[in-house]
Amino acid sequence: MPEIVSTVLFLFINGLIWGLIVALIALGLTLIFGVMGIVNMAHGDIYMAGAVLSFYVVGMFGNFWLSLILVPVIVILFAAPLERLVLRPYEGYHSTSMIATVGISFIIQQIALGIYGGIPKKISNPWPMSFNFLGVDYPGYRFLVAFISILILAGLWLFLYRTSYGILVRASMQDREMASAMGIDVNKILITTFVLGCVLAAVGGVLAAPIYQVFYLMGHDVILLSFIVVIIGGLGSLKGTLIAALALCSIEGVMASFLSPVQAKAAIFIIMIVVLMRRPRGLFAE
Amino acid sequence: MASNHPLLETVSVTMRFGGLTALDQVSYSIHEGDVRGIIGPNGAGKTTLFNVITGELKPTSGKIFLRGEEITHLPPHLICQKGLSRTFQLTLIFPEMTVYDSIWVGVNSRAKKPWNPVLVAHRVSDLSQKTQEICHLVGLEEKMDELVCNLSYGDQKILEMAMALSTQPSVLLLDEPTQGVSPKETDHIIQVIERLSKNMTIILIEHSMDVVLRLCHRITVLSEGRVVAEGSPNEISKNEEVQRIYLGEVS
Amino acid sequence: MRKKEKMRLERGVREKSTVKYFAIIFLLLLLVMGMVLPQGARSLVIHVMIFCILAMGYDISLGFTNQCSLGHSVFFGIGAYGAVLSILHLHIGFLPSLFFSLLGGFILGTLTGFISVRLSEAYFVIVTAIFFGVFHLLAMDMTWLTGGDDGLSVNLQTLSVGGISISLYDQRVNYYFVLVFLILSYLALDRIIRSPMGKIFVSIRENEKRVQFLGYNVYRYKLIAFIVSGVFSALSGGLYGLTLRYGSADFFSFHWSIMPVVWCLIGGLGTLAGPWIGVVIMSLFQYYVSAWWTYYLILFGIIILLILRISRKGILGYVLSRRLS
Repeated sequence: MPEIVSTVLFLFINGLIWGLIVALIALGLTLIFGVMGIVNMAHGDIYMAGAVLSFYVVGMFGNFWLSLILVPVIVILFAAPLERLVLRPYEGYHSTSMIATVGISFIIQQIALGIYGGIPKKISNPWPMSFNFLGVDYPGYRFLVAFISILILAGLWLFLYRTSYGILVRASMQDREMASAMGIDVNKILITTFVLGCVLAAVGGVLAAPIYQVFYLMGHDVILLSFIVVIIGGLGSLKGTLIAALALCSIEGVMASFLSPVQAKAAIFIIMIVVLMRRPRGLFAE
Repeated sequence: MASNHPLLETVSVTMRFGGLTALDQVSYSIHEGDVRGIIGPNGAGKTTLFNVITGELKPTSGKIFLRGEEITHLPPHLICQKGLSRTFQLTLIFPEMTVYDSIWVGVNSRAKKPWNPVLVAHRVSDLSQKTQEICHLVGLEEKMDELVCNLSYGDQKILEMAMALSTQPSVLLLDEPTQGVSPKETDHIIQVIERLSKNMTIILIEHSMDVVLRLCHRITVLSEGRVVAEGSPNEISKNEEVQRIYLGEVS
Repeated sequence: MRKKEKMRLERGVREKSTVKYFAIIFLLLLLVMGMVLPQGARSLVIHVMIFCILAMGYDISLGFTNQCSLGHSVFFGIGAYGAVLSILHLHIGFLPSLFFSLLGGFILGTLTGFISVRLSEAYFVIVTAIFFGVFHLLAMDMTWLTGGDDGLSVNLQTLSVGGISISLYDQRVNYYFVLVFLILSYLALDRIIRSPMGKIFVSIRENEKRVQFLGYNVYRYKLIAFIVSGVFSALSGGLYGLTLRYGSADFFSFHWSIMPVVWCLIGGLGTLAGPWIGVVIMSLFQYYVSAWWTYYLILFGIIILLILRISRKGILGYVLSRRLS
């Protein structure tokens, strides 16, 4: 296989796997917006918190996979009261909630800076195996990431489309007043959705941690990318977010073979503008 | 004085939302000087008809003509510029502007350069004169400097009408102007509409039969998106089917 | 008729007159302070004046047409670089360089506005934030043009007017140079707000749908407001670049997007000069608290949450609504 093709394939698959992680994060963002009407500017920092927490879990227990269980638990403990006590008044107010979550973003960042520090650190590879696929060596851990992400996505799909509670969540996305009028406990749905969104972002952070360095500002790149994904896919559209995440990250991955990372990001940005000019609500908006 | 051609006309207008047909081939026309009423039970499509005529909705099929010119696919602001003005059932008001300013904005839209960034707004004399005239016409001249959010609900309904008037419309669409308003204010509103009806073409959606019977030359009855009856107030009040529609409804 | 009209004019103005008196007093104070302040304090006040222009510019967008943009750092940055790059590459004086700041603000305002203004509220705030993010990345990356976050230094020419030399290197000259622009900006924006166009802006803020049904192309007016906002924000960026004699990719950072929002929220949305209070408070806050606690941004985040909790329209909005009802 000619080297250029295998390089591009490598970058494409890397991009696709990163796209799976971004899909988790962006789906959390879309769910939070769809059900709660909150534009969560702190979403990238929750991703960062997941990565930082997994760093400490690895440090304390020596086991990386444990963080896949512990981090969601910790996130639930913090996210539930955050929604109930802090975010509730801003729900439904798109601009106000964006500014409010900026405030939360600063707080999370500074706490991370204070406790974790400003130096990027690495988590050692939890599965230092590699597989040879079509003549190129792929890191085994990344395949595991893909596998776990797909499992989570499948679980999310099952939850939202096959359980009665999940269907209620989707109903609330369509029309919250109607859902409330039908006697659905909107209070519980709001907390559940926010916690679910945050857990998705945090787990994304856990999975990403061994691949990329853990840094207290790592949320910035991710929130920018997630926003672009959600705008192209359609804010509030689960299908659109998933497709946009996978497509954009693989495209960006391939472009990184001949463009610099920033140039690739700018190219994605141009794609977003083109999409917006034709579809102001994204490709798959309801 | 009414010409032969209709001032406003809808031709076989159908409005479908997914599986729901809100308007079913409604053909409706009104001549200059008419005062027409539209009545019907909730969900009959009355407000939807207004929404389609004023450009808020694009009909699934059918056409709308104003003075012979097709306006079906025009955006709301252009339709308003062509002389069609409406009030909304749930008042669309400017909470933190004064009554005067609220009406002034509509008056200004007809000025030669409404976008003027240099003049001081209140010093443009012909605009302020027109604004005060309208305040006087609807009886709000005492409250010109009140903030809209401090007005009573009835006064807000009157302001809603005043704003629709401020754009010098040739056709005025009133959507339930007396709904939710006290009997005394209802009387006042009816008087204002009576005064207006002398030299303006008006279509009035109302739930209250009394108001419609009193004010309108002709009444159209809508039910389930279709025109079921049309005639003089006398004819409509005696119409058996109309009675059945209204008796069958819990309002 | 004439007496009533006079009465109405006075009354309509009264609520706003409090802010106007404040603005006049504030500007007069600034006139005097320039002569008596020691150098360190004077430098701080120059920055405050520049930020006041930025705050006013942003208020046109958020306070007068309800467009919550998180991308105004783009205008601030382009304003600074418009001045700095035009001096570096075109060898012009500091006064003409501001023309390029304004031009940059106008072009970017039109492009960004053309793409964003027609979007719904959530999309607008996200897309403007994306603009900030991408421009910041580009500014950091294109070091050949911007100098990255190390930045580019410039030397300013001395302007000779009729035998008098005006050099921004004299801090007092710098001070009054900026003050002149603050006064001019205030007068211009105040005029716009009191004009028919300004009334249309306010009515759009109060009820956009209604304005549409009064015969206005609302999108066009929102776009104009956004561009005006961008131009004045770029002006403040240009003045900042001239004052610091320096341009850096940091001028595109999120700080310059979020601070105008906070200034307006503290000082009062839709009052034009109200946000100046926000500038003063936050400048003092940053100056003193950041020296005392490294993690003062946590307090900053809490302040944001508290203000929004009190009223979505900011502190002055809350105060006004108490007085009106």
